[in-house]
Amino acid sequence: MTAKIRFFARFRELLGTDIVVNVDGKTSLPDLVKGIAAKNREGYDAIFDEKGAFREFVILMQNGRRIETTDAATVTVADGDEIAVFPPVAGG
Amino acid sequence: MMTVLSDRERERYKRQTMLFGEEGQERLKKAHIFVAGAGGLGSPVSIYLAVAGVGTLTVVDKDVVDQSNLNRQILHGQADIGKKKVASAEEKLTALNPDIRVNVIDTTIDESNAARLIGGADGIVDAMDNYPTRYLLNDIALEKKIPLFHGAIRGFYGQATTIHPGKDRVPALRFSLCPAKEVFPVIGATPGVIGTIQANEVIRYLLGTGDLLANRLLIWDGMCSRTEEIAVARNPKCPACGNETSGKDTRKEGA
Repeated sequence: MTAKIRFFARFRELLGTDIVVNVDGKTSLPDLVKGIAAKNREGYDAIFDEKGAFREFVILMQNGRRIETTDAATVTVADGDEIAVFPPVAGG
Repeated sequence: MMTVLSDRERERYKRQTMLFGEEGQERLKKAHIFVAGAGGLGSPVSIYLAVAGVGTLTVVDKDVVDQSNLNRQILHGQADIGKKKVASAEEKLTALNPDIRVNVIDTTIDESNAARLIGGADGIVDAMDNYPTRYLLNDIALEKKIPLFHGAIRGFYGQATTIHPGKDRVPALRFSLCPAKEVFPVIGATPGVIGTIQANEVIRYLLGTGDLLANRLLIWDGMCSRTEEIAVARNPKCPACGNETSGKDTRKEGA
């Protein structure tokens, strides 16, 4: 069973994108992202704070649906899921 | 405004009426589009809408042209420093196309004036640099049942989507907290790309042609010149349109 993580903008620069990960049906969303982000200190720090929580403006989507970072721990990643992680883009 | 085209207009728009005829051009001429912002995004959007012949543009901005704006805000030039952006915008847009009507308003858009400023416009272009105002524009778009053409940029990255209340599954684009307004890095070509995409959306909406960026967020990665899409689904917790919430959206800009 696999899921795909897509990172955007600054996160992509640090961590790459379209990363396929094996999932066992029990992996939580934060753990999935942490597993990938851990490979790059700067990438990890951009997404997670010192307590290991998602930074407040990180945007998470599971199959196109927004997941609040505060709810992310309750979400399990399923086979075929596409998880998107990006920083908010606000300029104009 | 007369929607029948003058001889000069026919000549001006000759190369685009090849695509959609004078009937299409008259639709553009009849339209009134509200452009919120005359900066990085507002510049290319308003320029392309003006030259396309959108009949009435209302452009709102509160700022004065500053030296550091000039790497991207192509409506304004060196000689405009110190001038109100809307004054510069009016001058340039009218010079590009005197056959349209350009209204400019020098003010901050907020809850006390947004609905009135937008008035009977057929659509709202989000060329803002902060989310609280974007959310306000979204709320007005929902109330007036008109589309919101969203754009946002940072550095070499940008995004765009069209929110069309009543037609789409996702009438609102909300984030859990407003990111704090920042002095963001930006290269002019980035809002150039996104603003042009927004103008293209507006034009096709008015013509009733093609597929809009509805229910999809277009992501532009200028570092590798790729675009991709995220399909967007309705968020049941969204305070503007979700069915799990009630009451007004009370989130304010973060510290």
